[in-house]
Amino acid sequence: MKNGIATAALAELAAEVGERPQQGCVAYGVQLNWRSGTRAEVEALPMRIGDEQVSRGLRWEIDEPRQLGGSNHAPNPQEYLLSGLGGCLMVGFLVGASVRGIQIERFAIEVRAELDLAGFLGVRKGAPVALGGIRYVMHVQAEAGDAELEELRELAEAHSPNAMTLAHGVPIHGALARTSR
Amino acid sequence: MPGLCKGDPRSKAPAVGSAAWVNELGRARRPGPALPAAALPAALGSSTLSVHAGSRDDPATGAVGTPIYQNSTFVLGAEQYRAIDQGYARDRFIYTRYGNPSQWAVQEKIAALEGAESALVFASGMAAIAASVLAMLDRGVHLIASKELYGGSYAFFHHELPSLGFSVSYVDPRDPNAVRAALRPNTMLLFFEAMTNPLLNLVDIAAMAAIARAAGAKLIVDATFVSPLGVRALEHGADLVLHSGSKYLNGHSDLICGAVAGSRKYVDRVWPRLLAYGGCLDPHACFLLERGLKTLALRMRAHEQGASAIAEYLARHRQVGWVRHTSRADHPDHALATRQLRQHSGVVAFALHGGDAAALALLPRLRLMREATSLGGVETLVSLPFNTSHAAFTAEQRAQIGIPPGCVRLSVGIEDPADLIADLDQALATI
Repeated sequence: MKNGIATAALAELAAEVGERPQQGCVAYGVQLNWRSGTRAEVEALPMRIGDEQVSRGLRWEIDEPRQLGGSNHAPNPQEYLLSGLGGCLMVGFLVGASVRGIQIERFAIEVRAELDLAGFLGVRKGAPVALGGIRYVMHVQAEAGDAELEELRELAEAHSPNAMTLAHGVPIHGALARTSR
Repeated sequence: MPGLCKGDPRSKAPAVGSAAWVNELGRARRPGPALPAAALPAALGSSTLSVHAGSRDDPATGAVGTPIYQNSTFVLGAEQYRAIDQGYARDRFIYTRYGNPSQWAVQEKIAALEGAESALVFASGMAAIAASVLAMLDRGVHLIASKELYGGSYAFFHHELPSLGFSVSYVDPRDPNAVRAALRPNTMLLFFEAMTNPLLNLVDIAAMAAIARAAGAKLIVDATFVSPLGVRALEHGADLVLHSGSKYLNGHSDLICGAVAGSRKYVDRVWPRLLAYGGCLDPHACFLLERGLKTLALRMRAHEQGASAIAEYLARHRQVGWVRHTSRADHPDHALATRQLRQHSGVVAFALHGGDAAALALLPRLRLMREATSLGGVETLVSLPFNTSHAAFTAEQRAQIGIPPGCVRLSVGIEDPADLIADLDQALATI
């Protein structure tokens, strides 16, 4: 299969979701369990795709570097955020290339961002808490013209749930639940 | 062969190259795969489907019936390469492990009999079970299975699946509350047999399907003991139905094969496992299976009639203390049988007052019935659970699951019931 992606299966999924909209509804979740300091273990919760439940059984760690009070044992939250964006863009680009019949020989994506710690630390009034912006560069080797690859990049970004979430923002609803001993 | 797609012509390539995005690919799942054929009339009976569904006359010679495509590989062309490139290779002929017209013919017949969109045949029932179960699991998940599983299935569930990181709970298939109690957050599959061996207990498929659905799990039913003529498990809510085709489907005790049927979506999920684990069915074996299937409805009527008559005879015999057949009102699942079974099977279990010694003495005295394991063939087979399927159990363990001493399992063939009764009568008279 070109790029390891079954375009026939993609087409069938699109037709199924077009016919039965509930099959396109996907629910995700993760649970972070604090270990110590800035370190936590994260577990992927069961994913629901349409009428199917997907058991994940996946765990990973999250930490901060020593300079930010951690032990530097695992990627930090901002790195997970950037990799989540990069991964989502990558899927979209490879899907789009496969739809157009373009063989991708090599693909890498570099995602970078900056923030001002003054916002998190609250040391300067008006300092932004959010990232100042996100930049990414796709490094592509493929038998296709620059214009077509750029068009694919734009399509991948426009169809990326994570890119659109970050670009436009979504409401975040938080709540507190006390746990007993 | 210009213009020939060498496969299912209804299966169209996605519009790769001309589509701008996924929504323009223009391909949807459809039943099959199948070779072109004149459409059969709607709402045909099982006997007609057994004969006609999937079978193809040879277009080149007019020979009636599906030719045996005894080849391992196919001449490749642009359409085959496209199918590999775009991921619809199941719909094109490329290599016999992937698909072959002899496989397609018999798969279409099985799918028609099960009311399924799609089916696959395998080199054995266990190959069908292994590929289908593993296709439905994500890593590390939990399964629930009947505690009365066929020994081969139990070996796979008990020895193989834990080695692969899966956990299995075994429950009474007749107790929905026990099934609910066994559910865990990561339970992904429920696996039950439509009829158990040798007690011939039934599982309420619709009830199990409801439990599975509520838990976000799938339900696989092994319907080997009842055949599609006995129950169409998919209509009761099963996601996949399995058969050891060596039994009733083929029906002549001359072939080892298996099958799975279900929606195209789920059977497509099994297909890569068939490729990876390699249990495909040889084309000549497909021919034998297809020929056997043509008489399935006829045979099942004879099995039912013979088994019912023999069960009635045995129930009146003074040396027999216990008889099981779903046609009998004293079968513990008779009410469910009335509701769920379209036809009774040919398997009868009974126990002799003289215990296992009397059962052992019976076998060599039988002149028509063959002392052999397996079931579903045209000839009547007889075996004893205590030294075959349940030999690993102690007498006490067999008693705990309800297998009485002296238990005999009969797979009633299609012989004249009076002859079989006479055979039993003369054998019992000399014990």
